[in-house]
Amino acid sequence: MTATQPIHPASEPPPPLVPREWRLRLDPLLLLASLGLVAASLITLRSSTQNDVPGDPMYFVKRQAVYAVVGLVLMYGVSRLDYSRLRELRYPLYGVLLVTIIGVTALGAATRGARSWIELGFFNYQPSELGKVLLVVALAGFLVERMREMGRQTTARVMLLGLLPTMIVMAQPDLGSATVYIAGTLAILFVAGAPLRHFAALGALFALSITFVLVAAPKLGVEVLKPYQVDRLTAFLHPSSDPADAGYQQAQALTAIGSGEKTGRGPENATQTDLGFLPEARTDFIYAVIGETWGFVGCALVLSLYALLIWRALHILTIAKNLFGALIAGGVAVMLLFQLFVNIGMNVGIMPITGVTAPLLSFGGSSMLSTFLALGLLHSINAQARETAERKGRATVFQ
Amino acid sequence: MPQRVEERIRPITPQLAWRVAVLGGIAFVLFGIVFFRLWYLQVLSGQDYVSRASENRVRKERIEAPRGNIVDRHGETLVQTKRAKVVQIRPSSLPESVREQAEAYRKELAAAEADRLKAADRYEAYVRQLRDDGKRDTREQKRTARQLRRHARQARRVPIPELPESEAELGRLYRRLGDKLNIRPSTIHERVIRGLADAPYSNVTIRTDVDPAVFNYMRERPEYFPGVEVTNRYLRQYPHSKLAAQLFGTISEITEEQRKSDDERFEGIPQGTRIGQSGLEATYDKYLRGVDGYSRVVVDAFGRRDEKRELSVTEPKQGQRLKLTLDYDLQRAGDRALAQAIQASVHGAKAGAYVAMDPRNGAILAMGSQPGFDASVFARPFSQSTYENLTSEEKGAPLLNRATESAYPIGSVFKPFTALAALEAGVLKVNQTINDDGKYELGPQKYQNAKGAAYGTIDLRKAMTVSSDVFFYHLGEWLNAEGPKLQRVAKRFGFGRKTGIDLTSERAGLVPDRKWRDGAYERYQECVEKAGLTPGTTAALYECGGVERGWSTGDNVNLAVGQGDLQATPLQVAVAYSALANGGTIVTPHLGKAIEDGNGIPLQQLRAKPKRKVKIPEAHRDAILDGLRAAANDEGGTSSDVFAGWPKEHTVYGKTGTAERQPNPDQSWYACFVKDGGRPIVVVVTVERGGFGAETAAPAARLILSEWFDVGDTEFIQGSDQSN
Repeated sequence: MTATQPIHPASEPPPPLVPREWRLRLDPLLLLASLGLVAASLITLRSSTQNDVPGDPMYFVKRQAVYAVVGLVLMYGVSRLDYSRLRELRYPLYGVLLVTIIGVTALGAATRGARSWIELGFFNYQPSELGKVLLVVALAGFLVERMREMGRQTTARVMLLGLLPTMIVMAQPDLGSATVYIAGTLAILFVAGAPLRHFAALGALFALSITFVLVAAPKLGVEVLKPYQVDRLTAFLHPSSDPADAGYQQAQALTAIGSGEKTGRGPENATQTDLGFLPEARTDFIYAVIGETWGFVGCALVLSLYALLIWRALHILTIAKNLFGALIAGGVAVMLLFQLFVNIGMNVGIMPITGVTAPLLSFGGSSMLSTFLALGLLHSINAQARETAERKGRATVFQ
Repeated sequence: MPQRVEERIRPITPQLAWRVAVLGGIAFVLFGIVFFRLWYLQVLSGQDYVSRASENRVRKERIEAPRGNIVDRHGETLVQTKRAKVVQIRPSSLPESVREQAEAYRKELAAAEADRLKAADRYEAYVRQLRDDGKRDTREQKRTARQLRRHARQARRVPIPELPESEAELGRLYRRLGDKLNIRPSTIHERVIRGLADAPYSNVTIRTDVDPAVFNYMRERPEYFPGVEVTNRYLRQYPHSKLAAQLFGTISEITEEQRKSDDERFEGIPQGTRIGQSGLEATYDKYLRGVDGYSRVVVDAFGRRDEKRELSVTEPKQGQRLKLTLDYDLQRAGDRALAQAIQASVHGAKAGAYVAMDPRNGAILAMGSQPGFDASVFARPFSQSTYENLTSEEKGAPLLNRATESAYPIGSVFKPFTALAALEAGVLKVNQTINDDGKYELGPQKYQNAKGAAYGTIDLRKAMTVSSDVFFYHLGEWLNAEGPKLQRVAKRFGFGRKTGIDLTSERAGLVPDRKWRDGAYERYQECVEKAGLTPGTTAALYECGGVERGWSTGDNVNLAVGQGDLQATPLQVAVAYSALANGGTIVTPHLGKAIEDGNGIPLQQLRAKPKRKVKIPEAHRDAILDGLRAAANDEGGTSSDVFAGWPKEHTVYGKTGTAERQPNPDQSWYACFVKDGGRPIVVVVTVERGGFGAETAAPAARLILSEWFDVGDTEFIQGSDQSN
C-alpha cells in the first residue's frame, strides 16, 4: 500500500459490490487440504482398483469422484449459510440423528444381519456417518444453552446425550463410529470448558466399563462386544500371531506400508494391494495402499494435508464469532483428528482395527458427504467470523 | 480496495486459548507419532517388509523330475515314465476328526495283520507237529489245520469308517470332487482314510489320469476345491506288463519316519518327494530319482496362481537309466516255460519260480515268479482289493517274488552239498560204495527211496545220477557224528544266509542244526512250563511254537536229502550251484549292471564283488560234476529223458529235486548249469505242487537253456523219473 491511497475510516464498510453470500470467502488452506486429500484418494483408487470390477477399471474412481463433487457442492452450500441458525434446530437435528440410526439398526435386525447402511440406489447411505455431524451440532447447541452453569450436571447431561446414539451404533454393530461419537462429545465438553476433574472422573468410569465389558461381562455370559470385535481390538497387541485371524490384516497392512520404503513400489509392483493380500484396500486400509505405492513420500504428503486440515480447523475454532461456532469447530476438528489417527494408526500397526475410515481418503459416499458437510460448517464459521469482524471493523489475522 | 484501519483483536478467553492449545498439542503429538512410525516402517525397516511381501506372493512349487528308465542288458525298455494329471488332497486341510479316524483305522489294520501272522505261525507249527508225529492225520486235526490256514492266509477285513456327520463341509467338497472326477464321494473318503493311514503326512491321491478339461477347470478354481492339489505327476509305465513285475517294486512319497531316520539313503530328501520303496526302485533310487526342479510362481491372497507373472523355473533333471543284467528274451522264455510247467502239473500247481544266472559273476539273466501280475498296478495307488489280490494266499500272493522271498525245503537238489561235506569230513571216499536196498532204518524210524526203488551197490556218481536217498541217508547219519559238519558246508555255500542280491527283501532260509533245534526246544519247554500246559498238545503248540523235541540223528538224515527243517530260496540254490560250476566262488547275485545317462551312455558300471571262495578239492568236484552230468545225460539219469536230443556241445549238469511239503503235494525242483565257455549259465526252477523234479521243473529248465543257447526247442518234455 502506498501513502497516496486514501484512508477510509473503519466505520465505513466498503460498498457491497456483490450480494453478501457471494462475498463470504472459503478458507483457502482448508479448501486446499480437502481437495488435495480427495485427489490423493482418486489417484490411489485409480491405481489400485483397476482390476476389481471386470470391464470397468474406473468403477470406484468414478463413484468416488461423484461423491467428492456432490460433497464439494454441499460444502459450498453450507458455507453460505450462517451456522448460528442451526442452534435453534438442535432438537430436530438430534431427533433426526436418533431416528436414522435407530431405523437402520432395526432394519439390520429385521434382515438378521449386521447392517449399518440403507441402500439408496446410487450408494449405500450410512446414517452413522451423517450422525457424526448432527451429533456435534446438536450437542454444541445444548451446551451453549447451559454455558452459565458448567457444573457436574451439564457434563453428565451432555455425556448422556452423546452416549445414547453411541450405544445405538454400537449395537449395529459399528464400533468405529461409536468411538468417534465419544471423541466428539468429549471434545465439545472440553472446548466448552468442563472442569478437568470431570474428565478424570469420566476416564475412571471408562476404565471401569472396559474392565466390565472385556472381563466381567463375558464371565457372566453377557456379550457386549462380538468376539471378532474383541479379537480385532486386541490383535494389534500381538500383530504377527497367526496369519489366519485378525492379526493377519494388521500384518498385511504393515507389510504393505513397510515394503513401500522411501519412494514406493509404484502401482505396477504393489503386490500386496494387487494380489489381494491387503484386506479392505479401498476403505479401511487405503493408507497402506498409499504407503506401498508411493512410499514414505506419499504417506508424509497425505499426513501433511491432514495436518493442514486439522490446523485450519483449530484456527477457525479460535476466530469463531460465537461459542456455538467454537464448539462446532472443536467437535469437528477432534472428530477428524480422531478418525484419521485411528485409521492411520491401525494402518501402521499402533491402533486396533476398528473400521474407522480415513476422512476424504477412504472410498465411500456417506463418509465423503458427511466430512464435506463438516468442512462446510467450518467454512461457514470462518466466513461468519470474518464477516462479523469486518463489520465490526475488526481485522482477523490471516495466518 | 479501501484500506481498513487495524484494530486490536479481541482476545479469546484465556481458558479457551489454553484448551485449544492443548488440542493443538495433542494433534501435534499424534502426527509426530505417526510420522516417526512411518519413518521406522518405511525407511528404517522397509527392506524387511519388501522381502516379507515377496515371500507372501512367491510360492516355490516343486516340479517333479521323471524317474530314469530301467532297461535290460540289450537296452530293451522294461520300465519307463509317463506324465499324468492327478488330483490330490492335502492332509493338512483335512479336519482333525478325519485324521483321527484314519489313525484308528491304521491301528485296527495293524492289529488284524498281527493276528494273521500269529495264525500263520500257529499253522506252520501245527503242520510241523502233524508231520513229526508220523501218524495219520485225523479228521479233527485236518479241520483244525484248514481253519488255521484260512486265518493265516487272509487277515480279517477292517471296515473303513464313514465320514462323520459333523464334517458337512468336507462332505460337500467330496461331492463336488466326485462330480468332476466321476467317483463316488464314499470312495473318495475311503481313499482319504486309507491314504492317511498309510502315510499321514503325504498328499492323498484321489485320482490319476484326470481328463485335461477337468484338470484345467479345477486348477483355475482353487477356491471351490480347498485343500485340493491338481498337478502333473510322472507315473511308471511297464511296456511288458507282467514281465519281471516282482522285481521293480513300488514308488511312493517318502514317509515321515524315513525322513527322520538316520539312514543316509534318505538324507536331504525333501518332504513330498516320491522315492522307490521296494525292489529295484528302492535299491537304485538315488540313480533313478533325478533332481526335482522348482518354479517360483506368483500367487494372490487366495492361492490363485497369477499366470502372467511366472518368476523363474529351474528345470527338473530326469533320473539316470538303470541297465539290468536281465536278458529280455530269456526272461520272456523263462516266464513262458514256468507257466507251461505250472500248466503241466497234475497236482494243481499255481506257483513257482526260476532263476537264470551267470555262474561266473552272479549276473541274473532272468528271474521270474508265478503267479504274476500286471506291473501297471504300481503306477497308481493300490486299492484295497488290488492289494488283497496281490498279497492274499488265496490268489497265490503274486506280489511275492518266490525266487528270493520264499524259502522251501529243496529235496535232492541239496545232495551235492551233502556229498561234499561227507567227502571233506572223510566219512565217504570218492569211490566208496554203499548198498542201496531201497530201505534205511534209524532206530524205530523207517526211511525209503521214493516209490521204494532199490539201486543196489552204488558209488557217489551213481547215487547222484539216480538220486538214491538211501545212500545219502547213510551220509547224513555218519555226518551227524562229525558235529555240524554238514551245516557248516551248507552255510559255506550260502544256505541259511542272505545272498546279498540288490533287492530289498530276501529270505535267509534256514539250515537246521543241533544248536538251533535244541535252543528252540528249550524255549518251548520253558514256555510250556510257564503256561502250565501239557507238552505235545495243540494248546502248547499254539502258545509255544512247534519245536517239540530236541535235535536227533533223524534231523541230520532228513537234512542230507534236503528235507526236514531246511529252508532255501531258489536264488540260494542258484548261488550254490554257481559255486559248483565255477570251482568254488560264491558270487553275489545282482540285477543292476550299469548306470547310464538318458541316451544310453554308460556312466558307471555296477559291480557285485563275490562273497568268498570255497575250497573244493578237484577230485571231489569231479566226482560230483560227473554225477550231475550223468544225471542229465546218461541212461538212467534222473533228468536224462528230459534232455533227450539236447545238443552235446552244451553239456548240462543237472539235479532234480522233489521236496515233500506235507500236507501239500510235493514241490518240483531242478537245478542245473552249462559250463559252456562263453555263455555259462545256471538255471534253477521250482514249481510248488509240481510233483517230481523231472515232471515239471526240469522240462522248464530245458526250455530256458534252449532259449539261451538258441537250440530252438518249443516242446515241453516231461521226464518220467520218480526219485526224490
